[in-house]
Amino acid sequence: MPHITLQDDLPGIRALFHFRPETAKPLCELADVLLHQPSSLSQAERELIATYVSSLNDCYYCQTSHGAIAAHHLNGNEDLVLQVKRDFKTAPISDKLKALLTIAGKVQQGGKRVTTEDIENARRLGATDREIHDTVLIAAAFCMYNCYVDGLATWAPEDPESYRRRAAVIAQSGYNQIPSDIQAQNRASAGGLTS
Amino acid sequence: MKPMFLPGVEHNPQPSPHTDLIRKMQASGAEYPQIWHLFAFRPAATDHLSRFTQEIMRGEGPLSPGMRELIAAFTSYRNDCPF
Repeated sequence: MPHITLQDDLPGIRALFHFRPETAKPLCELADVLLHQPSSLSQAERELIATYVSSLNDCYYCQTSHGAIAAHHLNGNEDLVLQVKRDFKTAPISDKLKALLTIAGKVQQGGKRVTTEDIENARRLGATDREIHDTVLIAAAFCMYNCYVDGLATWAPEDPESYRRRAAVIAQSGYNQIPSDIQAQNRASAGGLTS
Repeated sequence: MKPMFLPGVEHNPQPSPHTDLIRKMQASGAEYPQIWHLFAFRPAATDHLSRFTQEIMRGEGPLSPGMRELIAAFTSYRNDCPF
């Protein structure tokens, strides 16, 4: 049960976005820039970084929702997402992505764990400064989102199909729409109750 | 100041208020926090972070700004981040 009173039909961070729309907007816009808008890293690669960090933080809602979005971008390959979470070093992904996941994993332990060697290794495997920068920011931002979701003990659905449905919507339209969608959905259900 | 991990970030500031601040500090030879380089490199992302910080730290709310800064300072201390 959530630590504070939240709208009970909204899961995870969506309940928090509904509770506090003023902070929801910049948080969603940041997620959209980092994960959805054009970048030299694919949407699948960036969602995998977010999913991996969320799994290290043991955040069920975030790793399941972003894992589903990653799988959607990977033509439904949920096995690959699972492999990355379990042991990305043996997963069939590029060496560059493995180097970036190593950096993301260090950020999750604490920013100071990232070493010059980690950065040089990523560069040697073709990562640009922009890609390394965005990897660190995705990892740092997801530590925040993960702590936010679990620090208030939000509720998360268990049915994988519900995550697949949401993933298809997010993969298509991105994160910027989320706050207004939640408010609209809420107005619609409030209207339904009174009529 | 020590060079940053990513020279591509440190030496590619985009037009932004933080770039102007960096130039001013460099001209006067003063030290400045290198987080400014992060904000100057990727304003499309970090502008949202700034607006988030503004809202959570200074937006309307029951906690005073001083109390909120104390929470932020305490958390940063625990994370061993002196800035």
